[in-house]
Formats: sequence, C-alpha cells, structure tokens
Amino acid sequence: MNNIENWEEEEEEDEEEDLEFSRNYFLAKEVQSSVKKSKRKITDIDVVDEQELREAALHIQPKHENEIAKLMDSYTAMYPEWLLSLSCGFALLMYGFGSKKALIEDFASKTLTEYSVVVINGYLQTINLKQVLITLAELLCDQVKAKRKVSGRQLSSQSIEDLLTFLYEVEVEDKDCFVCVVIHNIDGPGLRDSDTQQYLARLASCTHIRMVASIDHVNAPLFWDKNMAHTQFNWCWYHVPTFAPYKVEGMFYPLILAHGSASQSVKTASIVLQSLTPNAQSVFKVLAEYQISHPDEGMPISDLYSVCRERFLVSSQVTLNSHLTEFKDHELVKTKRHSDGQDCLHIPLTTEALQKVLLEIS
Amino acid sequence: MAPSSPSESCPQPLSTAENDLQPFFVLHKASHHGKDRTSAGQGKSRKRNKLSPILSQSANKPEGSSTEECDRYMRRKMQIEAFDIVWTKIESTIKDVLRDLNASVFNNIQQWVMECFDAIRLVGEPSIAEATRSFPVLNNTTPLKVYSALVITRNIEFVDDIMTFEELGLFLKSHGCHVTKLSSMEFSLKNGIAGCLKALLREFIGSSFDPADIQTLASWYREQDNYNKPLVLMINDLERCCGSVLTDFILMLSEWVVKVPIILIFGVATTVDAPRNIFPSHALECLCPSMFMLVTPAERMDAIVESVFIKHCTTFNIGHKVAQLLRNYFINQDGTVTSFIRALKVACLLHFSMEPLSLIQGRVIVEDQLRNSGLSPETMLKYMEELPSHASYNLSRNKMDDQTNKSMAEGLSELLTVQKLWSTVVLCLYEAGKYSGVRLLDLFCEALNHVLYPSRDSVCKKRDEKDHDLSLTNDPCQQYSIMQSGGYICQIVRKVRDLPSGKLDQLIESWEKLTVDISEIYEKLKILQSSIRCKDGKSSLRNSKDISKRGVSKGSINNDKDSRMSNLQAIAFLDDLVRNYLRPIEGIPFHEIFCFKNVEKLQLVLIGDPRRTIQVDLLEFHNMLHCSCCNKSGKALLPSMHDSSIMYSLAQEHGDLINLHDWFQSFRTIVQHTNKRKQKPKHTPQPKKRKDTTGSEDQNEASIQARFCRGVIELQVTGLVRMPSKRRPDFVQRIAFGI
Repeated sequence: MNNIENWEEEEEEDEEEDLEFSRNYFLAKEVQSSVKKSKRKITDIDVVDEQELREAALHIQPKHENEIAKLMDSYTAMYPEWLLSLSCGFALLMYGFGSKKALIEDFASKTLTEYSVVVINGYLQTINLKQVLITLAELLCDQVKAKRKVSGRQLSSQSIEDLLTFLYEVEVEDKDCFVCVVIHNIDGPGLRDSDTQQYLARLASCTHIRMVASIDHVNAPLFWDKNMAHTQFNWCWYHVPTFAPYKVEGMFYPLILAHGSASQSVKTASIVLQSLTPNAQSVFKVLAEYQISHPDEGMPISDLYSVCRERFLVSSQVTLNSHLTEFKDHELVKTKRHSDGQDCLHIPLTTEALQKVLLEIS
Repeated sequence: MAPSSPSESCPQPLSTAENDLQPFFVLHKASHHGKDRTSAGQGKSRKRNKLSPILSQSANKPEGSSTEECDRYMRRKMQIEAFDIVWTKIESTIKDVLRDLNASVFNNIQQWVMECFDAIRLVGEPSIAEATRSFPVLNNTTPLKVYSALVITRNIEFVDDIMTFEELGLFLKSHGCHVTKLSSMEFSLKNGIAGCLKALLREFIGSSFDPADIQTLASWYREQDNYNKPLVLMINDLERCCGSVLTDFILMLSEWVVKVPIILIFGVATTVDAPRNIFPSHALECLCPSMFMLVTPAERMDAIVESVFIKHCTTFNIGHKVAQLLRNYFINQDGTVTSFIRALKVACLLHFSMEPLSLIQGRVIVEDQLRNSGLSPETMLKYMEELPSHASYNLSRNKMDDQTNKSMAEGLSELLTVQKLWSTVVLCLYEAGKYSGVRLLDLFCEALNHVLYPSRDSVCKKRDEKDHDLSLTNDPCQQYSIMQSGGYICQIVRKVRDLPSGKLDQLIESWEKLTVDISEIYEKLKILQSSIRCKDGKSSLRNSKDISKRGVSKGSINNDKDSRMSNLQAIAFLDDLVRNYLRPIEGIPFHEIFCFKNVEKLQLVLIGDPRRTIQVDLLEFHNMLHCSCCNKSGKALLPSMHDSSIMYSLAQEHGDLINLHDWFQSFRTIVQHTNKRKQKPKHTPQPKKRKDTTGSEDQNEASIQARFCRGVIELQVTGLVRMPSKRRPDFVQRIAFGI
C-alpha cells in the first residue's frame, strides 16, 4: 500500500516536472500573470464544522433561476433539429457549462417517444457496460420482434464482443427504428478508459443505435481518434450551456474544505471510536499517546502489541489485528514502512486533533 | 425541466432521484402509439399531394395534439426522405469514384496475390498425412517466406485507409480469396500473440476459439469449400502495431505457410522503410515484400469534388464560404477525405433541416432518375405544388397566384440550366488547369466566389466601352479580364497562353468532349476550332511557300506567331466562357433551395471546441443568460454572478497554481459584498438568500464555504482545475491558459 503511494507520488512528480516547461510557456504568454506565489495554508481558513458545511452545500440557493429556465426553454426550439440529426444517422454531443442532464432527459422524453431510450449515468464510478449491451439487445429484440429472438439468458452468457456483433448485425426492416442511448458524461470516471470508449464507439456505429451524449471536461475530445469521432460516433456538436448546478455529477467529488478523505476530522474520528468496544478504544488510546509523545515516527506493531498485552487489552496478535483492521477500515490508522523495514502505525490526525479526540472518548 | 416519469410500459418505474444513482436505466420503451403514427405517416407520405384535413386529423394524437404537431411530423418525414435520397446518391457516387481511382492498384494487388499463391503451391502441397498433423510441415530446405504487400497509403491519418482497405477486401473476396482484416488494436502487447490468433480465427472461421490454435485454421482450410483459395490477411496500420507481437506472429506464419498459405497486406502510412523500423532482422528475413502505391488524398479529393459538385450527381450544392471552410479544413488541418465527406454530410443534413423549400430536391432527383429528362418548368411546378407548405398556402389563397408560381418554377428550372453551364466551364478550366497543376478543389472554390463574378463582368464592360479593337501588339492577353483577376483561373489562362500547339490541340479536343452536350458552348468551340484550323491551313500553305522561296528561318517565326494567335484565341474562348457562363450559384435567384450557405452553423455543428467554449461560458456567462443584474458593470465581479464564474475569473489572476486560501478569501470578499450593499435601502438582486441568513453569521459563513466548495467541484468537473497534490496540499492547479 505504502509502496504504491510512494510510486504514485513519484509519478506525479515526474509528470509535474514534464508539465512545468509547457505550463511556463503558456503562463509567459498571459499578460495578467504576475505570479505571486502565496504561502498561505488551507488550514488557515477557519472552516466551519464539516457537518454544517455538508448541510449548507445541500442548500445552496441557486442563482439566476429564471434566466436559466428561460435558457433551457430556448433549447426546446432545437429539439426538431436534434431529432432530425438522430433520424439521419448522426449522434448528438452536448457540451457547454452546466449540468445537461435535465435538458437531455427532457429532450428524450418529449421527442423520442417513438423510440426506446436507455440512459447511462457516466458520472458514476462504475458502469457495467455488458449489462447495458444486454439491455439494448433485449430492447431491440422487443422492438423488432425478431424471428430468431435471442432469449435473455442466452444474451447474458455472451461476451461483449458477441453482443456488439449482434447489435451491429441485427436486421430491422423499418429504417427509422432505433434504440437511443443517452450517456450523461461520456467523459465520466466510469467510462474514461480507452477500452470502454472503443466499445462505445462501436456501439454508436451500429445501424439501429443512436447516441446522445454530454461532455463536461474541456479535454474530453482527446478520448477519440478520427475514426472514432468522425466515422463511428459521427458527432454533431451542440453548444448548450445550461448553468444548472452539477448536482449529481459533482456528488462524488470531495468538498475541498472538508478534509474528509485526506485526514479525518475530530468529530468523525470520535464518532467512529465511540461505536467501538472499550478495549478497542483503549488500543487506540495507546497508539494515540505514543504518537503524541513521538510525533514524527509511527509506532511499530510489535511495540503496540507488547504494550497492549501488558495492559491486558489484547490476548493475542489475532485480536490486535482485528482491532487494527477496524481502524484501517475507518481510516483511523495508516501503515507506514519504516526505514528499517518495520511496519509502523500512524494516525492521520494532527497532534492537537488527537488530543481533542482523546478528550472526547475518555 | 425535470424528466418525465418513465412510461407505463417500463416494468419498474423508478423515481428521478433513484435513477440518478443507477449506472443505467430504461427511460422509456418505444411507444406503440408512436408506431401507429409512423405507419399512418408512411401512408400519408405516399399520398402527399392528396393530403386532406381529415387524414391529418386521424393521424393526430388523441389527447389534444395539434395540426401543427402533425405538420411538424410530416415535415420531418419528408426531411428524412429528402436527406436519404440525396445523401445515398452522393455517397454511392463517392464510393464509385474512389473505387475507380483504386481500380488499377486493386487489380495489380489481386494479380500479385494469385502469383504468390501459385508460388506457394509450387513448393508442394502437403500430403494428407502431413496436413492433418498438428505441427507445421518442416522442410530441410530454407524456410518459406511469407509474401507481404506494402501498400503505401500516402496519408497522414489512417482513417481514410479503413475505407480503402474495406473496398480492397471486397474486391479480393469477389476474386475468390478468403480475406480478413485485423487492426493494430489486435496486435497490442496486452492481447499478445494469443489475442491476435484468436481474432484471426474469429475473422476467418467466424466463431471464437479458446484456446486459439493455428492448427484449427489449418484444418478449416483443408475443408473442401475453403481449399485452393489464397488466404489474405490485411493489417491496415502497420506502424501502430506492436513490433514484438507482430514479429512472433510472422515467425509463426512462416512456419505454417505451406499448410496455411496466408498472404499479408500491410497498410504503410510512412515510407517503405517502415518494416525495417518495426521488425528485427530475423523477422524481416521471413517476409517477401512487394510495394504498391495508392493515390494521394489530394487526387481523391479532386475526383470527389468533380463528381459531386461539378458533374452534379445531385442538385445539392454548397456556397462559396462553405466550400472555403471545407477546403481550408482539408488542407490546413485535417487532410483526410473522410472528414471532408462527413462535413458534406452534415452540411446536407443542415440544409434539409434549415431550408424548408430544400425538400423539393428529393423529388427532383427521384424523378430525374426515373425519366432521365431535363427539368422543365412544368415538372418544377408540379413538385412545388406537392410541398405541404405550398399546399396550405394555396388553400388559403384560393390559387390566386398561379402566375407567381409559374414564374418561380421557371426561375428554378433556369437555375438548373445555369448550373449546367457553370459546371461545363469549370470542367473546361480544370482540363486546362491540368497543365499548370491547379487542384480542382481550389478552382472549385474560386469558381463559386460570387464576389468575383460581377467584377469580371464589369472589367469586361469597361474594356468594351474603352477600346474594343485594342492593338494586339503590346501584351494582347491583358485585354482579357480573366488575365487580370489573379487567382487560379488567371494562373490557368497564363499557362494556356504558353501552351505549345500540340498540347493546345489536345486541350481543344478534350474541350470538345466536355461541351458536346451543351449547344451554347459547343457552338463557340466550333468557331474556335474552325478559326484555328483555318489559320493552320493558311500557315501551312504559307509555310510551304516560305520554305521554297525564302528559307526556313522566317517561316518558323511566322509559325510561332500563328500558334501564338491560336493560344490567344483559346484564351478569348475561355474568357468568353468565364464572363458569360461562370455564374456562381449564389448570384442566381432561388439558389437557397439547392445551395447550403450557412457556414457559421456548419462550423458549430462540425467542430465543437469545448476547451475554449466552456471557458467563455464561464467568463462571459451573461451573454448567454441575459440577466439584468450582472452585465452593467463591465468587467467587475459582482456577487450576483454565478459562483463558478466568479471563481474562474478570480483564478485568472493566479499563475498555474492557485493558493486555496487566497482564492477563498477573494471569493468571500466578493460574495460578502452583497451584505454590505444589503444595508442600503436600494433593492439589490439576489435578496432571497440573505433574508434567511442575515440573523446568523455562522450560517452565512458555512454557506459561503459550501458555495466555494461547490465552485471548486464544478471547475473540477469541467477539468479546468486539478486538485491539490500531496506535495502541494494548499494549491489547486490551473489546466487551461488563455482562451
């Protein structure tokens, strides 16, 4: 784990050095950039309680609601054009600032009533493309009432490759019959790898599949080579900024002022600890006290074990390990490899925060 | 704006919030109602001209959908129909053109394949015992080589070659080869040799095998139907393949070549040296390469322009600016024919989508194919009457404007005639341009330029007024307006001026072929021919006298002068054509019906530029939202602005790293500005929020921090900032610089 982290960090550094040159070039071209490198720390901001912050984030008052509604409404005039593009074999790619989720789904449910529509939420972390393909194949079968109807079970046992071939080759008499695939954030985390993009491109090139996708990332077009963009996806670009908040799209990003993922806050740590057994709490206390007295080094597991045994907190290494697993799962403890090769334990909290935690659980 | 709930046909309707968290879901299934409407619509389109109000009523949705909706639906059907007819015609024309261009290379390749196959067969067919063993035939003699063709594509991009290789595959298949195509993706390190073998078997035999074994292919090949045909494997992008995987693959094939006579065809984008850069020497030894050349993209492009726009396979046209855009995109940026064709397809789509009268074209083409007749004003009138918009117009006006209709139909018919003349002139110029290497694409763009046309005309008028019988002594060519205009046409004419007489004769002959159907131009050409012939006759007569009386030298000077006269006459002929018949479509009435001109729209739909546009959205959002609160103070940041816009504008003040603390503080200063202003009695925008929060400072602070966090997330979603790294926890990194 530790090694991987180190490696990642090294890679990051390498990459940053690579980028520095090109960045400096563009910076030099900017007139305004009187590069004033500030030394202020993020911790200097007097951050409100995390719970309160999250609560406030849920209730942010939207701005320009009327104007946004008007803007969205103005796009309805384009629906016929979009529908025609789809009917003529093109795919739609929506871009521009703001969440386009509502707009696209509105377009789909108002205009594409004649066609089945499958929505993929690309902003989610994982998407099982095979399941999507099976659903599409089933829908197309339903629609065609194909003679050689492939049953659901058979479809699910096929590989992605076979499913794509099936979708590509399926024969439908009515030329204007297709299943529409709406992909919110085709540049999202779950679809970002090149294999998935290749599969999606092949899916888009099927005769009876049409795609309506949205992108938000400025570099999204870099996913596609010319064959994908021009021949397979066959995009028609539409600039439709909505300025609507990225509510669901941003759901999985951490709040930058809540140090949630990087280091535990006092409150969450004490909530977790209070839910554990007294013995586990005491083990944590041992570790915390050690860290307060030796702030720069982690505590070797063997030391922790011996102290805990002395205090009758654990009876065996196994019990200690089960406590440690619990801590690790809640990110209360991290393992670091010491220079002498020993695994050391470390709590990702500052000394002050640790003291507060100890106060709260005692 | 929220999506409507899924239709009843969906088995388990989910709420919107639940759907948001599903990786995927069925929004709705195809409605049967829609299907009914489709069939009704199709019925209607057949009887379009008999469209009656009753019929249109019956096709409506029962629950209050209007006639307007029905019209829209009908219109869409007609648009699709027109697009289909026109585009299918263009596409098939392009395919034919490209096939013709490649025909000779394809023939050569096919012959070569057969020769290679015979050569392999000469080595000796494996006996049944040998052939059924699961290991290759091993000879003590030198190992056999794998015949491989290097097809030099002369392309920067591989995307054009995909189409070419598909055609080649079809061609070879039709000549009795087993053909399969693998891409560089199969020859990747990740797939390894097993992956590419698997793909090979899947392509040849049609089902997947696990584990893949070349023995399977060998025994498949032994089957009756498959035997005695060469196996051709095409890999269209050699440079993108992984060298080591391909090496292993070739070494394996070379061992099996007697049992499985595979012949390789590689698409090579760079130079003939490419295999040497990719393969180690022991793999190179196994290859027996031959080389073939494809035509260049520029040649392909000219052939396409000629067939689609000059010879007018359809009535669809593009305006000068659109042509210019496509040309620049091809020459300066993209260089692929595929993109050009796609751009054309998009233009075609937009034309039918935006220009209501364009629908006439679909009918025009169908009729034209059926009767193969010219388009008389009568036929035009018929099409026009069939247009739904026209039908409703007539109903309301009680057919009062018959005269208008007739004159419009005549106008349309004339437009097509003028186009025919224009094409002939361009073709004549192109024929002459071949001597000076002018590309048809360039000439085409210039010939479409309607700005140049009146100037050509006026120059000529001025000249006529001034002095018609200008002495020919100085530079006689200068009297012709086309010599003064500059550009490609001028370049062509200059070349004609200097053309030796033999070539000039050839040129005039080729003009004859081009103009033979167009009587107006053909007559002029006949006059040119007769006057040249007459001079030739005279000069040859004079020459024989000259030679006998005064010797050779003077005769040759005379001869020179005469041939120069012929060149001048040829120029005069071209000048006449250009002045009278090279009328760009954009200058003719009703051209909008056939000609797509909206270059801005095309550019938008064709080439999205999210990197720039999203930044512009953020920085100049009030141009889109048109709010009254934000655009009054120029560049100053106002609290009423969008949070992300404020933050991105603030980010512009930083270097490549943005200090989070500073960023937050400046954001807070701007946002809090509202509070101070709130104290004043003046009404400020966005008061709601503050009303509930004025009481509690904490809540206010929390809200500002939350808004800041949300802003960072939004910028992260757009990829404009990158999160703090472990090394620099206090900074986010800017990604985009400058718009």
